[in-house]
Parts: sequence; C-alpha cells; structure tokens
Amino acid sequence: MTARYRPEPFAAAVTGIGLVTAAGVGTAAAWRGVSGAADAPSVLHRPELHDLPCDFMYTITGLDTKALLGVAVQRLMDRFSQLAVIAAREAVADAGLDPSAWDSGRVAVVIGSAHGGLPFYDEQHTALTERGARRVSPKLAPLTVVNGAASSVATDLGAHGPSQAVSTACSSGTVAIGTAHQMLRTGACDIVVAGGAESVCSRLLIASACRLKAVSTRRDDPEAACRPFDTHRDGFVVGEGAGLLVLERPEHAAARGAAVRAHIAGYGASSDAYSAVAPDPDGRGIERALRTALADAGLTGADIGHVNAHGTSTVANDLIEATMLHRVLGEHPLVTSTKAMTGHTLGAAGGIETALTVLALQHQLVPPTVNLDAPDPEIPIEVVSKEARAGAFDAAVKTSLGFGGHNAALVLTRA
Amino acid sequence: MSTADEISTLLVANFGTDPVAIRPEASLRQLRLDSLALEELRLLIEDRMGIDLDDVQLTSRDTVGQLVDAVHGKAAA
Repeated sequence: MTARYRPEPFAAAVTGIGLVTAAGVGTAAAWRGVSGAADAPSVLHRPELHDLPCDFMYTITGLDTKALLGVAVQRLMDRFSQLAVIAAREAVADAGLDPSAWDSGRVAVVIGSAHGGLPFYDEQHTALTERGARRVSPKLAPLTVVNGAASSVATDLGAHGPSQAVSTACSSGTVAIGTAHQMLRTGACDIVVAGGAESVCSRLLIASACRLKAVSTRRDDPEAACRPFDTHRDGFVVGEGAGLLVLERPEHAAARGAAVRAHIAGYGASSDAYSAVAPDPDGRGIERALRTALADAGLTGADIGHVNAHGTSTVANDLIEATMLHRVLGEHPLVTSTKAMTGHTLGAAGGIETALTVLALQHQLVPPTVNLDAPDPEIPIEVVSKEARAGAFDAAVKTSLGFGGHNAALVLTRA
Repeated sequence: MSTADEISTLLVANFGTDPVAIRPEASLRQLRLDSLALEELRLLIEDRMGIDLDDVQLTSRDTVGQLVDAVHGKAAA
C-alpha cells in the first residue's frame, strides 16, 4: 500500500480584508453589523420579484458605485464585479500594499461566483424577446461571464499574475481561498487577492429557486426569514455582497513587516458525487473536506474552538452539517451561521464568512446566529444565538457546501 | 438639442468622457472608445434618437465630427 501524500504544512498570511455586505459596507461596519453592534441589515422587498413567493433579498443600500468607481470603470461590470472591486480596494489598502509599487507579476486574483452577471443576462434576454435582436447589448459576454469579477479586480489593481474564477456554486468563495492557499504554497505567486462576489437580483433565478422550494417564503416577516438551525426554518434568503482577503506567502508578509490578521493553515475539498442539489444525507462529503483541512493544518477536532458554518437555513443543510460537525469536532466549538445577518450570498458566502472568521479569531468573539429562537431539537450541537459570545480559541473552521455536491473547508489559526 | 449635443450628453453620461475633450477633430480613440464602446454607443444613439445606424461604419479612427455628420444624416433622412 502506498502512503498517502502529505505536502509540507503551509500557513498563508491573511494581511488584508475587504467586505461589502448588507450588514455593513467596509470591514469595520460589516463586523459591527454581524456581531450585533449595529442596526439590522436591510432585507428588502424587491419590485422585480413582486409576484414571486419569495420577493425579498438582503440588499446593500446607500452604495454609490458610480461615484466610487467612476462611470468609465463601472460600465464594464455587472454589480457582482463592482462589489468585488470595491472590496478588493479595501483589502489591498488594509494590507498596506501599494499597487503602483508591487511586483505585479507576482500578484494573483482568484474570485468565486456562482452566477456571475446573471441580472444583466436576465435584462438582455428581456430586450431580445420584447424588442428584438438589434436591441441586445454588445456587453453581454464581458459582463455576464463568471470571471468578470476576477478580471475586473486584476485590471483595477494592475495585478499581472494569474487571475481566475472559481465556480462551485455556494462553496465558490471558500474554494477560491483554498485555491489561493495552494497557489501560494507552490510559489506560483507571492500575493493573492481571493474570495467571492455575488449579486443576483434576477427574476429568472429567484423564480426557479421558488419552484425548487429552496428559498424562504416568509414574505410577511423577511427580517426573520433566514433562521439557521431553528425549528421553523423554511429555506435560505438570497443576499448580495463581496468578501475578499489578501493572502501572502508568510515570508513575503514578514519581509515587508506586514501586520498579519490570521493564517489560512489548512484546506480540504471534496465532491458528494450524489445529487445536483441535495447534499449527501450522511454528510460524508463535507466530512471528508473538513478532515482533509484538519490534516492539512496538522490539527485535530480538539484544537478547533470556533466554526463559521455554512448554515443556510434550509431544513436539509443545517441538520446534515450540524450532525457532521458534532461527529468530527465534538460539542466544544462555538458554532455560528452569519447568514442571518448577510443573507445567503451564494458564491460570495465563503469569502465573506472566511473574512468574518478571521475577525472572530482576532476579536476572540463569535457573532450570533440571529433569528435562532427555537433551536431544532434534532441539531446535536449548541449554536451561538441572539448575542455575540466571547471565547478563547486559537483555531477556527469555515465550512461550505454547494449545489452539485461541492464541499470545502478551511482551517484558520490566530496570528 | 443638436445632434452634437445629444452625442456629447451620451458620451459624458455613459462613458465618463471629459466634456472638454469632445471636440469635432478628436478621434473616438482619443476619447478611449474601443470597438466594444463604439457598438454600445451605436445602440445608445439609436435608442435616444429613434434612428437606425446599422449601415454606418464606425471605427475608432473616426472623429467626433464624422460621427455627428453620420448621425445627423440619418436623423434628417
């Protein structure tokens, strides 16, 4: 029997964060929102969805993308790419990097998205069917491709290393960060801007999600609709946002005296090979991803003090994931799902939630799973609810599951 | 509003073009309009002015003045 290959341990330094979410724009505001120290996020009824069973979304309000980006830059991006560029600028500034002075060929960009520029596709399809082929915009391809965010960020920053999109549905952001971890480990680059971006106020998509019965239909109380691990959960609520990290090879960060927020110490991914939409009912796929990430980091379940769970608020996901977490990690970690404050941002979720896990490690504070009023008795773990809870932990986990059975897990450690 | 003013308004609003740079002798390339932008501009002019520019050849080498003349010709037809 051949011994299983294990690479040398590698911990990528997290030196910058950029967050654009419905809970807050900018890392400080988003953390205040998610940890319960600010007003509730905007969960708005959207006119485009008025006649659908789910007509509400977590929506970023008061963000003047035209003023922030300029007309000439903004016109070549759909909203998910705009959010990514805004987050990337913040992350790079937070890392203390100057794009005019860096070795640009050693800077990579990896950004996950599930649907890319679907809203523009939706709009142009309407133009085609209602006004004819000559009214379709020539910008359809550049605005709708899933790699739009990665190319927009690379262009905006002047990053000339490899840039790419990752698309594994709702685990895209986590897989993007895992991919960045691997790129740094191999020495393919020194710096990676990595995470996820999504904005899908698409009538077409939400109509389909309603038919699939994947989204909450609590139209009379949208702020309470996303309730991960709660007995009365009835589906996820879509949100928009972007969450990006600046990751560096540790020696690169040290050489320039960068402040390190945390480390990405381990990554694991797996496929359920089971269903187009449903997770493996035994959770063996996400378990495999998590055990791989733990082994990659050289840690065990006993070392993990906090989990930012996928926790979508669907009946199936939350039970399967919680049962798996109990099986692998035991009862001691402080578990939360921050989706009740951000919405389910699909391909951006892993980027946003990994950034929030970094902040939890730094602040030694676990954000609450708001709306968790009546914990599902079948859920075998305790989930932090109502208020943020202080803890003492040196390592944390981020888990993500995506339609199609794409599982991913990251292990993060304190700086 | 004159044809030149209509085009100038579209360029400023949709492409962030500096109004001072929009002179008759300025090439569309100088205004940073690449092939994608030219086709986008064609659509915007058609929608705004209710005309069909399908048979008008547009390249980045053309000047603002040539574009105005071509659009004016169609609008007057």
